[in-house]
Amino acid sequence: MTRLVQKHAWVLGLLVLLMVLLGITKLIQPSFGATGLESLARAALPFAFATAAMAIVVIVGGIDLSIASMMAVCGVTAAVLMQSMGAVPAIIITLGVGTAMGAINGALIVVTKVPDIVVTLAMLFVWEGVALLILSTPGGNVTDAMQGIIAGSILPGLPMALVVMAVAIALVWMPVRRSKIGLSIYAVGSDELAAFRSGVSVGWTKVVAYALCGLLAAMGGMSLIMLTGIGEPVPGPYLLASVAAVVLGGVVLGGGRGGLLGPIIAVFILRIIRTILTLAAVDPNVTTIVEGVIMVAVVMLGAIVTYRGVRA
Amino acid sequence: MKKLLTTAAALAMLAPAAYADGHNAYVIGVSNTVQGNGWREQMICAMRAQAAAEGDVDSLIVAHRNTDAAGQLEDLNNLIEAGVDAIVLNPANPDALNSALDAAIAAGIVVVAVDAGVTAEGAYILSNNQEEYAYLGARWLFEQLGGEGDVVYMRGIAGVSADTDRDNGFQRALAEYPNINVIHEVFTGWQQDQGKQQMFDFLATGIPFDGVWTSGIDNVIVDAFTESGAPLVPIVGADNAGFVEYLSTVEGLSGAAVTNPGSVGGAGIALAVDILNGEAPEDTTVLVDPVLWENTTEEGREVIANAQNPNLDPEWPVSVTVPGWTDYSMEDIIACEG
Repeated sequence: MTRLVQKHAWVLGLLVLLMVLLGITKLIQPSFGATGLESLARAALPFAFATAAMAIVVIVGGIDLSIASMMAVCGVTAAVLMQSMGAVPAIIITLGVGTAMGAINGALIVVTKVPDIVVTLAMLFVWEGVALLILSTPGGNVTDAMQGIIAGSILPGLPMALVVMAVAIALVWMPVRRSKIGLSIYAVGSDELAAFRSGVSVGWTKVVAYALCGLLAAMGGMSLIMLTGIGEPVPGPYLLASVAAVVLGGVVLGGGRGGLLGPIIAVFILRIIRTILTLAAVDPNVTTIVEGVIMVAVVMLGAIVTYRGVRA
Repeated sequence: MKKLLTTAAALAMLAPAAYADGHNAYVIGVSNTVQGNGWREQMICAMRAQAAAEGDVDSLIVAHRNTDAAGQLEDLNNLIEAGVDAIVLNPANPDALNSALDAAIAAGIVVVAVDAGVTAEGAYILSNNQEEYAYLGARWLFEQLGGEGDVVYMRGIAGVSADTDRDNGFQRALAEYPNINVIHEVFTGWQQDQGKQQMFDFLATGIPFDGVWTSGIDNVIVDAFTESGAPLVPIVGADNAGFVEYLSTVEGLSGAAVTNPGSVGGAGIALAVDILNGEAPEDTTVLVDPVLWENTTEEGREVIANAQNPNLDPEWPVSVTVPGWTDYSMEDIIACEG
């Protein structure tokens, strides 16, 4: 039991922090309840997918700066496709497009040996242009049924958006995590050379990790159009937000350590902080400072606690 | 320790919220998705100044950041959770916000969109009349050219409703002057640097033209002419402080500024309060008509001289009030408190 707690100390700490923040929200706004949780889960949806996508490439030792642009491409692709076909084929095609974009990112990194940060920075602009080519102004169509998926709650206090998020991410990550490729992703992230000498196909592992990132980004892009009902070609603020949540969620930026649960809880922490700041009518020019300070404080505190733990 | 920190932070945050209770007055939520742009900052300051001037407004909750439509949905839902009586927003998109706006209207919250429209049923729209804005300026320009010549048409952002409305007004004026020809049409993205570069590029081609109509990216266009040494042609812009100053200081520049006040935000607060007090207008769409100031006549130059204010941020529109709607003073809006 204690070993289990120790192993997941960071995730448990984040969970406690989230509970405390939810308590504070309830204190500030006693009427905060089921609808508040629904709004929170819906707001967290695109950030959660972006963060899960980012976490996988960070674990493999890379980073994907093109994540928000890929989400924009997938969002407009699905919105345009749904003008002429049903939701199901449009979703399947979009998931394919996202996976392909991620795989292209990964393949470029492996083949050219140019650093991840440079390749994906370049691809940020490429995918941004592609999104504008597909749809030059916000538009397209999203079926009501698809928008309805993330509305309401399945049980009181359990928003549909949260269920959709958990099921979709688990469907992608659980089989990977429990298979050889999952182990390879962690191995390549912790020590590429050691992984190579142990017989891990480093290049292939990276391409798969980036493809998974693209797949989750496609889900993120589709969650955007489910929220708004239209496709928007201009990327939203999901790149920096996903890096922040990944770091806050306990994934080491060098790779090899961390999971997806921590970063996703971190997404909720960052969203609920935004809610608290709005409810408390804090000056909007101060809110981003508060958000940043809280993040740094939590990460620093975590580092100190971990350091003490190692010495003791 | 973590708990201690967050509790302390929460107590600090609770302080301003506590003031909201006590009196019996309206709490108004504001949502805006562009931060750091002169026009939008003036809009926010007009909202604050008008809220302070209205006796019935107790406090304002402002969600003001750079984000997309999904982020604005989050802000709107948070404002609904905060229990506001009315929401005044500058919408990121006319169609994307309906889920939150419908929920707000269903909860009895008054929704007023300023600057651009929304399609949610029951929402009020208070906007500058963008079609008239373009028509006034274009007609003045075409008259200046004697009804014939080639003009450069510098638009805003493709697909944004304000740009579409302005294009309708521009085309209406163009139809009235059949000998005017649009020789070059570009989208500036409402970005100063982009618009300036586009004018540099076009001047470099050497193709002659007789006038420029801009969608509010104006003073940098004058800069492009003076910096490249090209002879000035008549230029139409908006009432941004920088351009209005040029109209009275740049030698040889004939031009006109069409008002497009960011203070329409203040008018939005005034409208929301009217509706809350049971004085809703008959039509859900209210348009504020623009005025044209030109520097080619004595009266025009006098109007421009009076409009100038050295205390104003150069990126702010100089028309800081909306007559008939706003009740604050110039000092109030510059102070930006409320």
